[in-house]
Amino acid sequence: MPRFPKPRLDFEQSIWDPAEAQDLVDTVVPSAEGEEEPSSSSASFNIFPSTPPPLSSSSSFSLLNLDSPEKEGSPATGMLSTAQSPQRSSPSSISHSKLDEELEEEMGASSSSSQSADSESLADTLVGGKVTDLVHALILKYQMKEPVTEEEMLQVVTEEYKHWFPTIFEKASSCLEMFFGIDVRKMDSAGHTYMLVNSLNLTYDSVLSDDQDMPKNGFLIIILGVILIQENFATEEDIWDFLDMIEVSEGKEHFIYGEPRKLLQNLVQENYLEYRQVPSSDPPCYGFLWGPRAKAETTKMKVLQFVAKIKGTHPSFFLDSYREALQEEEEREQAAASSLGSTSASFFAQHFSAASPGPED
Amino acid sequence: MQGSAKRMGTMTDVHRRFLQLLMTHGVLEEWDVKRLQNHCYKVHNCNAQVDKLEDFINNINSALESLYIEIKKGVTEDDGRPIYALVNLATTPVSKMSTDFAENELDLFRKALEMIVDSETGFASSTNILNLVDQLKGKKMKKKEAEQVLQKFVQSKWLIEKEGEFTLHGRAILEMEQYIRETYPDSVRVCNICHGLLIQGQSCETCGIRMHRPCVAKYFQSSPDPRCPHCDDFWPHEVPEVFDPEKEREAAGSRSSRKSLRSRQH
Repeated sequence: MPRFPKPRLDFEQSIWDPAEAQDLVDTVVPSAEGEEEPSSSSASFNIFPSTPPPLSSSSSFSLLNLDSPEKEGSPATGMLSTAQSPQRSSPSSISHSKLDEELEEEMGASSSSSQSADSESLADTLVGGKVTDLVHALILKYQMKEPVTEEEMLQVVTEEYKHWFPTIFEKASSCLEMFFGIDVRKMDSAGHTYMLVNSLNLTYDSVLSDDQDMPKNGFLIIILGVILIQENFATEEDIWDFLDMIEVSEGKEHFIYGEPRKLLQNLVQENYLEYRQVPSSDPPCYGFLWGPRAKAETTKMKVLQFVAKIKGTHPSFFLDSYREALQEEEEREQAAASSLGSTSASFFAQHFSAASPGPED
Repeated sequence: MQGSAKRMGTMTDVHRRFLQLLMTHGVLEEWDVKRLQNHCYKVHNCNAQVDKLEDFINNINSALESLYIEIKKGVTEDDGRPIYALVNLATTPVSKMSTDFAENELDLFRKALEMIVDSETGFASSTNILNLVDQLKGKKMKKKEAEQVLQKFVQSKWLIEKEGEFTLHGRAILEMEQYIRETYPDSVRVCNICHGLLIQGQSCETCGIRMHRPCVAKYFQSSPDPRCPHCDDFWPHEVPEVFDPEKEREAAGSRSSRKSLRSRQH
């Protein structure tokens, strides 16, 4: 039952570039000569186990990483070693300067091709290890529903790999997207804080226990989608028909969403939805529209993309809604562009007149 | 059928949603995991047959292998309920990211953990843990504060409290078994039947071997005269019942009818 983890990460194309490697050495070497790094960051360098890692290795995930720095001296199979680079056999409690030396030997010194091939896989492995670390850290942040700053991410990636950060970040983001459907999204224009969201701006999470707040975002996205497809107004019957399909029934407690009618009422109260009578209906019947808050917090295109994803199709499948969504996008871009200045505006206008034709009728 | 362009192997949006939800809950009992799986299929309007849970999870695990993350299955020590959690298999510390717990709080947990592992019963008393408050790393913590931190651990499902004493939640055992074995190799106890880490359990008064309660339940299930598997002496403790998921479901009350899925063009 315990499986031996793959020894290295298989990311596409080597990120090796001799010029970059030289830079890496340059950044690494001075730090060894400079003042002593805090021991906790050197702990993260114990990635060269002298014996293969234990088969069913696990350690505290998420919140409780108790591997404290001073445990460096523990035996080779100890917890500070990872499975990530079994090719090297070096003592597990390796210090900065020793690592630097090795890196220097491998990368800087010789120009022979065989040596550079070794260093290539070494670099790949080292950086790949950092990608894994970053993925784990971001997952932690997602679980805690907290934003993450660039500074925090750099701490995870460590000083030595600062130079590789853009690549590491990009690969980690694509891992999250690929495996968990999580987007790493910029929160501010400066790009120093990021939020981890599912698909749309509205974060999607749910709980199974009764005593916590009922989260409604996932439910909301679905409802907004139904409304959109039904030409921006969905009657109550439309909504219940749809919910039936996913086994959410009126009056019955759903194990994730709770009682749907109550949930819908809450959403109306919070201005995500509007509840209106169908004009001149007798007996009066009612329906739902997007509320002002939904309009502010997300876009038609995003909701449409979500619905398309669920249905396994493309947004353009929903002809009318797609046109509307495109138009909305265009309006937004123009509004944004007008505040940027004339040259940008013309760029956007060009860009959109090319894209606008939309799906074929 | 799924729209996402980037996909690895057999990973679909159904799997991704499942992972997100599992992550958000931290740890889930098997019954909830099955419901979660069904939910994910339905939300994606996937008419494919719902995979057997084991296959579904193995699928996900093989995709996640390169990330050193795995969905692990375990069993609660007190009543044998199967539980699942997403675990980090790599052991590089990411402690700087754990902003939910400060350094002194993590150290408190470490101390409590050590006490629990060392203890005879698998429980550490609140008083004893709180007495260690002065030895904690980081910012100075008062006892009152420490009490609250311990409650925080209980709420996050790392510790269980019973009558003023603390032991490890099944989740903590699932996630930290290896760490515990490596850190406390001399004090660690192991179940005679399943050979897994043992925090709470029953022990033979003659030869001292220990067994998890659910392991005892299974082992002595059809024995009218339970005897220690090691020394054959009379087993002095009450044999608990084997966990029965069917009975649980009846007690909780399940939905009776299921409506059939109608396909609908939107």
